[in-house]
Amino acid sequence: MELSSINKNNIRETVLQAIKKAKALQPALNAVVTFVDVEEQLQKLEMMDPQLPLYGVPVVLKDNVNTKGILTTASSRMLSNYIPVYDAHIVEKLKDAGAIIIAKASMDELGMGGTNLSAYTGPVNNPYDTTRISGGSSGGSAVLTAAGVTPIAIGTDTGDSIRKPAAYNGVIGMKPTYGRISRYGIIPYASSLDHVGYFSTSIEDACVALSVLAGRDDRDMTSSYEAVPNYLQSLNSDMQGKRIAIIDNVQNAITDSKIKENFNTLIEQMKQRGAIVESVHLNEDLLSVILPTYYILANAEATANHSNLDGIRFGMREDGDSVEEVMIHSRTKGFSTNIRKRFVVGSYSLFVENQDKLFRKAQKVRRLLVDEVKHVLDTYDATIVSATGSIAPHPQDSIDEQLSSEYLIAENHMILGNFSGYPSMTIPSGFVDDMPVGINLMAKPFDEQTLFNLGKAIQEETGLKGKTVEVKL
Amino acid sequence: METKDQAYFKRLANQLMFDVSDQEIKELQTEFEILEEQIKMLERINTDGVEEMIYPFEQETQFLRDDVVDHTIAREDALENVKAVMAGHVHVPKVVK
Repeated sequence: MELSSINKNNIRETVLQAIKKAKALQPALNAVVTFVDVEEQLQKLEMMDPQLPLYGVPVVLKDNVNTKGILTTASSRMLSNYIPVYDAHIVEKLKDAGAIIIAKASMDELGMGGTNLSAYTGPVNNPYDTTRISGGSSGGSAVLTAAGVTPIAIGTDTGDSIRKPAAYNGVIGMKPTYGRISRYGIIPYASSLDHVGYFSTSIEDACVALSVLAGRDDRDMTSSYEAVPNYLQSLNSDMQGKRIAIIDNVQNAITDSKIKENFNTLIEQMKQRGAIVESVHLNEDLLSVILPTYYILANAEATANHSNLDGIRFGMREDGDSVEEVMIHSRTKGFSTNIRKRFVVGSYSLFVENQDKLFRKAQKVRRLLVDEVKHVLDTYDATIVSATGSIAPHPQDSIDEQLSSEYLIAENHMILGNFSGYPSMTIPSGFVDDMPVGINLMAKPFDEQTLFNLGKAIQEETGLKGKTVEVKL
Repeated sequence: METKDQAYFKRLANQLMFDVSDQEIKELQTEFEILEEQIKMLERINTDGVEEMIYPFEQETQFLRDDVVDHTIAREDALENVKAVMAGHVHVPKVVK
C-alpha cells in the first residue's frame, strides 16, 4: 500500500478496512499486540485540513512507542499492564499530520533481539512464508507494511532492528541520522545507539514520512537543530557521477551465491546509470569485533535504562515481604531468560574492575570503527552492501542478536549505522528462492536525501515500488 | 577470566534484583566462554591514544535556561495507570517492618 492509494474521500472506510485486514491476518502473522480504537481520532480528523501530508493515513506503531491511554508493552511481560499517561513526540507529530494510529505492533522483548521470537505475545511470522521469521526487533511493523495493511509503520533501530526485518520482508526500512527524529516517549534499549525510523513500500512515501517525523524536540537532549528539508521535492534518481563504495569485507563474507548475484546485477545497473561504483576494503580485524563491541555497549546501557522496571516504579508487581523481595520477584518473573542474561553481561562489563577492559575498550573500538566509515564517506556519497547474508531463516536456524562466533561481519555490519549515527536504509532488491532480499545504503550525517535519491534509482531498476504480498491464509 | 561458578552468577543476578535458574546459569557459563573469546579479539585492537566514543555526535544540543513550568501531567492522568490509589496518592504495599 502506498500513500497515493489512500482514498481521501472515504477515510473512515480506508481505516476500517486496514484494521479489518490486520485482524484477518493476525492468526497467520501474529503481528499486532493491541488494536487501537480509532473513533476519537476519526472524529478529530474531520476538523483537520485534508491537505495534511498523512491525512487519514492508517499507521502502525511499534509497541515501545508511548501512546496516552493505550497499552504499551514493549512486548515484555514486565510492561504487559503499562498504559502511558503521555504520547511520544512522534505520536504527536503523526497525529498533527493527520495520521490515524490503528495498532501497536509486536517486537522482540524491549527491542533486545533480532528475530521477533522473544515477544511476550509469541513469534511474528514472515508474510512471504509464515514458517519463517519476520526478523526483529521491529518485526510486527515490518510484516504489516509488507502485507499491505498500512503504507507506513514506525520501528526503532538499535543494532539493525528496522533494516534487517525490512530485508527479510521486502520493504523499505529507514534509520535516519541519530538526532533526526526525537526519541521522547520511546521505551529505550541503549541510549547511545537507539534510533526511531520506519517502514514503507516506496521511496516517495519514505520521503514524506521523514519530513513529518524529523525535527528538533527539546524533550530529547540528543535531538538535532538541523533543518528538515522537503525530501520529496528534491527527490532525483540521476546517478550520473555519484560515487558509491562497496564495502567488500561484507560482500566477501556472504556465501550465498544467489544473494551475491542479486547484488552484482544491481551494481551493474547503477554503473549503467552513470554511477561510479568502487570497492573499498575496511580493516577486517575491526569489522570482526562489531558484534562484541555492540554486545558490551548495548547491554551495559540496557541494564542501566531498565533498572526502573522493578515492579514498584514501573511494571507488573509480584508480592514479597520486603522492597528487595518485591523487586526480585517482579524482575525475575517480568523479564524472560534472555533479557536477564543480557543484563548480567551488561552489568558485568560495568564492574569497576572490568570497565577499562570491557566497557571503555568497547567505546574506544567504537570510535575506530566509526573513523573507518567516516574515512570512506569522505570520498564517496554512500556505501552499498547486501543487507543480509541470507533470506529470512526458519526459527530453528535463526541466530539472534547474541554472542556468536559465526557471521561476525555478514550479519552484523549494519550496526555501523548505529555506532556512527549515520543514516542507513534498506531497500528491496529482488527475490531469492521466492523470498525477498535487500540492499543496504549508508550516507553522511543528515544526508538522507542521498539515500532517497539512490533508493529511487534502485526502485526504478527493480520495479518493486509499492510491492506488497498476499498472505496465504 | 576467572572461573565462574553457580554462586557467582546467583550473586551477580541478585545484585541486579532478579534470580536466575540453574539452567540459566549453565547458559550464562557457555555465553561467558564466548564472551571471553571475543574480549580477546577486542584486546588485539590497538586503542592507544583513542578517546572513548560515548555518543554519535559530540555537539551541544542542550543549553541552560531559566526554569519554566512545562509539560506537566495532571494528577488524574498520572494516577490513571496506578494499580492502587489512596487519598490522591499512589498506594504501594507496606514493605518496611
